[in-house]
This record gives sequence, structure tokens and C-alpha cells, in this order.
Amino acid sequence: MSTRQMKLGLFLWATGHHIAAWRHPDAHVTAGIDIDHCIKLARTAEAAKFDMVFCEDAAGLREANVNIASQTSRSIGFEPISLLSALAAQTERIGLVSTASTSYNEPYGLARMFASLDNLSGGRAGWNLVTSASPIEAANFGATGLRPHADRYARAREFATVVTGLWNRRAAGHDGESFSVRDRLDIPPSPQGAPVMVQAGASDDGKDLAARTADVVFSAAQTFEEAKAFYDDLKARLAAYGRQPDDVKIMPGVAPIVAATKAEAQAKYDALQELIPDDVGVALLSSYLSISDLGRYPIDGPLPELPESEGMKSRQALVIEQARRDGLSIRELARYFAGARGHWRVVGTAGEIADELQARFEGGAADGFNVMPSWFPGELDAFAKLVVPELQRRGLFRKDYEGRTLREHLGLKRPV
Amino acid sequence: MGRHMHLAVSLNIAAADGQDVLDFGQISAFVRDLEAAGVDMAIISDSAEAPSSSPFEATTLLAALAAVTDSIGLVASASTLAHQPYNLARRFASLDIISHGRIGWNATLAQNPREAANFSRPEGFSDDDFRRRAKEFINIVRRLWIGWSRDALLFDKASGRFHDPEKMHPMNFTGEFFSVRGPLNVARSPQDRPLLVMSGLKQADLDFAIRADVVLLDKRQPPEARAACEEIKRRAHEAGRDPRTIKMLAVADARQERDGGSLKALCLSSGCDGIVLTVQPRADALKDFVERLLPDLEQHGFAKAKPGRTLRDRLGLDEDGRS
Ligand SMILES: Cc1cc2nc3c(=O)[nH]c(=O)nc-3n(C[C@H](O)[C@H](O)[C@H](O)COP(=O)(O)O)c2cc1C
Repeated sequence: MSTRQMKLGLFLWATGHHIAAWRHPDAHVTAGIDIDHCIKLARTAEAAKFDMVFCEDAAGLREANVNIASQTSRSIGFEPISLLSALAAQTERIGLVSTASTSYNEPYGLARMFASLDNLSGGRAGWNLVTSASPIEAANFGATGLRPHADRYARAREFATVVTGLWNRRAAGHDGESFSVRDRLDIPPSPQGAPVMVQAGASDDGKDLAARTADVVFSAAQTFEEAKAFYDDLKARLAAYGRQPDDVKIMPGVAPIVAATKAEAQAKYDALQELIPDDVGVALLSSYLSISDLGRYPIDGPLPELPESEGMKSRQALVIEQARRDGLSIRELARYFAGARGHWRVVGTAGEIADELQARFEGGAADGFNVMPSWFPGELDAFAKLVVPELQRRGLFRKDYEGRTLREHLGLKRPV
Repeated sequence: MGRHMHLAVSLNIAAADGQDVLDFGQISAFVRDLEAAGVDMAIISDSAEAPSSSPFEATTLLAALAAVTDSIGLVASASTLAHQPYNLARRFASLDIISHGRIGWNATLAQNPREAANFSRPEGFSDDDFRRRAKEFINIVRRLWIGWSRDALLFDKASGRFHDPEKMHPMNFTGEFFSVRGPLNVARSPQDRPLLVMSGLKQADLDFAIRADVVLLDKRQPPEARAACEEIKRRAHEAGRDPRTIKMLAVADARQERDGGSLKALCLSSGCDGIVLTVQPRADALKDFVERLLPDLEQHGFAKAKPGRTLRDRLGLDEDGRS
């Protein structure tokens, strides 16, 4: 029997990953301003031996339409690097991964910030590199608007090269297209050598950057086939950069709803779906499709033909593919999508959920999963209490941490 | 006598290559000692003109310190060259929420020559440009901090309104150096605005200093400090601000101070509201400060403010909803 075990991340986000999470009667509605709540969630994940806590980020509001935004809990939250630095002082083993944008930062500053988080946590930090696809963010950093996808990735490639060079103490000095840096990094390496590099790009440019620089890749895939295709594609790109398949851990998102019986789990899911206002669901879907006015099409009609976007090409394709495949109306798609934003949802008992995870893990479609609880704290607690022990019983997940650093948890080499 | 003499301690963690550096345990133990002694705030900075080998950056360190302290004010220096205003405003608003209202930003108007070279500005900034840019930056940050009204968050599960859409205000700012739409995606923080601490002021900046909550008057002789204090307070008054709501702190070097008496004299003769003592980032210097100077400072009437709900309360500053 192989001793390969799956990796688990806890994807922390506001009141939960379901768009109506905050309306759940037991959801902790002040999550975005309550540090003690966040500490509690991180400790729950640590007690369950998760590899890491992961924080998303955007440098701006998520939703342009104020009326829609005000019906969600996503317009306010902690800036994640400060949040994780505070969590570093309140946890001991769990990895701490923050998102940060290559479009609205400078490499020297970002390298310092993450090196500091890495030292504060004794070698548990990771950086999820994003290029930031939203025009709302762009408007907080100048008047020229969102840059095209290819330009953002060109900048991101240079950015990543500079940052890893600084962390790994390669020769000082960089004078490139977008950035110039004169000195070496003035912060020494942590016990894990350098923060773990995470990426979630899914376009060709995105996957290529991941193959070149990432230690961990997050993805969004509904079906086994999609997950497997992504997995094989990304792993196949590694050789070109002199890397082994095992050098990168691929962790698709999963939004589980678990209960003692399947019917109970389904009832929990249905109750959450009932809390989604139609205008919110449609707006959310529109924003992920990068079109502004899905609301003007009949809500019970099919998805219209859409132009390819400069935002998130891959995500758009995924959503469209699903609508066509299942013959979903805009309302149905919006509701379905609102739950986990195109991520994989599993509803069932601990055994059923473990079966599903095991099938993807052993079927070569995942090295682990980024767990996206529908609402906090309830669905995290349920996953930790019911699903984790089942995975451990099957030998699929650790019973205790093997090491102290995030690289050790993930079984990654130290950078050279 | 009702007047408190405030006491702040400034620790620049940057240590030259090869020197011993402080680890988190040492820094947090020191800050907890300051807290126990009633020191109003610790001011952390992380950069020197020579490259440092300290393991931490100031704002991330501040977040971790916030998580292991309860009442002391925590201020970090952060450069207007090393950050974008939107990002910096988010970071400090978050820190203020994490610390339950104990945070300040030390915005220096003096340029660190290393920064431009490492932040893709090899041509550098003239001093004049740097200051104009810094002032625009600070004004943006101050406006971003109050982009959400205090009562904006409704949390109303039944009606489905998380926040009141009328109470979230974009700023739509376009200036000489920056263009920022806003609002922040961080809630209004407990102090409305984290404390704005200014340092590195020149004579020409004194008008601008009336936006500060705390001004650090460094490297000045008492008469000169007194003149600067009076000048800032006068200008604040002229601009319609209660001069008592700007606290002036005279900077002194802990290495050169023998006792609390001379510091009290400095504080009084310079007309300041208190002092900031700079402490060297070495274990022996921290120990010496805590064991020798700190008790003597307490004896002489420093650090006697009642811990308030927030750092503003503690310093006797108003809530800051001004625009
Ligand atoms: C699990 C997951 C988390 C992500 N988190 C963020 C985030 O926090 N901020 C962000 O701007 N983008 C985030 N993304 C988007 C990706 O970085 C990426 O832009 C997207 O998958 C589209 O790929 P592309 O950039 O290659 O077109 C996330 C994606 C996934 C799958």
C-alpha cells in the first residue's frame, strides 16, 4: 500500500463560501471584523491537522453593484497578510497562505512581507500569486483600467522571478521590463527556506506560470474528468522546467456539506439555497462570466452566447460548459454557481464524501483538496468532526503533523 | 496637576548584517513589559540606511504583537514609497480591527534612500516630489479610512441586508500621483482612523502636520522643539482644530538618558505632551531599559494614563470622524 496521503487546505472566506452563508441562522455574521472568530477557525483546522489555512484576496470590492454587494458579506474583511500574521502568533503548526496580487504590489515589498510572515510563523507561510482580474481593483490603483490578461501575466512572470530570486538569495540586482531592484532582501530565510508558492491560474498563461513557479496549485473543477484533465495538463508542463510531477501539489476546491444521513445533508444544502436572492445569484454569475448585464436576459431562459473575456478565461469556459451540459436556465445556473462559485460540491455522509475525495485522489485527479465550508463555523466543524476522522481511518490523511513547516507538511523540497 | 506626560518607546528592529537580531519571543516579551509598566505605545520600524538582517517587517510584526498584547498602543512605520495608498490603508484598518483599536501609522516625510532603488524607481524622487507625493498619499489613506460610516454594517439576516448601501462611500480621487476610487474592503475600524503619527517633519511641513494625531519631534534641542510645538498648535487652532488633540512627543535616545528626572525636564522645557525613547534592538539594551530606565520614568510621572478602550482614548484624543 502506498503511503501517499492527501493534503488539505482550509479556504477561509468571510462568513463562508456559500453566497448566502451569512444568512444562515448559526453563521457567525461578524466574521469580517472578529479576529477571535478567525483564530478559532484556524485552531479547528489545526486540531484536524490541515496542511494550511488559505485566504483569498482582492484589492477592492468584489461587486460593483452596491445593491447586490449590500446583500452579501463579501464587501468587508481582513486584509489577509495582517490576519495571517496575527494567526501566526496564535497557532503552532498549520500553514498560513495568503493571496497577493502581482498587479498592485512591488516585488521587493511583497518579498519582505511574506518573508516576515514566514519568520513569524517559524516557516509556515505561503503566497498565492494572483494577477487580479477585476476592473474594480484596477480603479483603486490608477486611472488606466484593467490591463489585458497577457500583460498581467507578463508582469506576473517577472514579478515571480524577482521575488523567488530575493527569497533564495540569488545575486542581487534586477533591472527588467516592469521592475527594478538594487539590493538583496534585507530579511533572512525562515526554517523552511522560502515561503511556499501557490498559484491558481487556469488559462494557458496561468498554468504555464504555475508549472514554472508553483509548489501548490489550486483549481476549480466540477467533474472528475475536468479535474483529471487539469491535473494531467499541469503535471505534463513541469518537465519543460526541469521539474518532477511530485514537485507540485494540485489541490482542487471542494465545497462539502456533510451530515449523518444523505437526506439530512441535502436538507442543509436546500435550506442554504433558499436564502439566495435571485438578483444576487445572477449578479455573481455575471461577474464571474465578466459580463455586466446578465440581468437583462430572461432569468428562466438559457445562458446567451458570450464573448471571450479578458478576465478569467478558464472559469468562464467552465461555467458555460456546465450550463450547456445540464441544460440549465440562468436562474438555475446562478443558484447552483452561487453556492461554491463553480467549485465542486459534495453533499452527503462522511463516508460518501470520503469516497468522492478518495476517488479523485487515487484516480490521479488531485493531490489534496482546498476545503471550502459553506458557512462558518458549522460546516468546518462538521467536516473536521466527521470527514477528517473517516479519511484518517482509511489512511488517506495524517493523524498528526510530520514536521513543523508548511514545506514539511506538503512534502516539498526546500528551494535551492 | 492634571497633565499626563505620555511615554512611547521606539524600537527600530533593523540591525546591520552580522549583528545579533531580536527574535519574536524577545520582542514580544519586551512589548509586554512596556505594557505592564503602562507605556502608552510602542513604535516599531524596520529599516535603516544600511541593509538589515532582522527577520521581520514592521506591519506584519505589529499584527503578531497585537495578538499577544491587550492594552498597549502599537504603531508601525510604513513608507509611502514601499506601499500603495489603498493597500496601506487596508493593512492599518485591519490591524486596528485585530487589536481592538490600538494601532497607529507612523508616516514619515523623510525619504529612505534605499527605497526608490528597490521599488522600481531607480531615478529616485527629489525631496520635494517625495514630500508632495507623501502628502497626497496620506490624505488618500485618511479618506479611505472613513469610507464606511460607523453604522454601515447591519448584519440583518432576516431582511437580507448585510450593510446599508447608502453608508458606503467611494472617494473617486484623482490627484497628481494617485487615482483611487475606493471604498476600502475593510470595515470602519474601532478608532475610526488608526492614529496618524508623523515624523521627519521639516519647517515647510508644519502646515501639513495639523492632520496628525501625534507628532514626533526628533533631533531637536528643547527650545527648537518648543517652537515647533507652538507653531503646530497655533496652525491647528487657526485651521479650526483643537490644538490639544495633537500630541507632541519629543524624541530622546535611551542610551544617553541617565534618569527620569532629566527626561521630565526635557518634556516640560520643550512644551511637549510626552517623550519617545528610542531603544537599540539588542537584548541587553531592552533589558537595561526595562530594568533601569522604565521604573525611574514611572517614578517621575510618565506613563500614568489610564488604559482606555482604544489608543485614542488613552491619549485623550477624540474619535476621529473628521474629513
Ligand atoms: C481556489 C482558488 C482561489 C483563488 N483565489 C483568488 C484570489 O484570492 N484573488 C484573485 O484575484 N484570484 C483568485 N483566484 C483566481 C485565479 O488566480 C485565476 O486568476 C483564475 O483561476 C483564472 O485563471 P487565469 O488567471 O489563468 O485566467 C482563485 C482561483 C481559485 C481556483
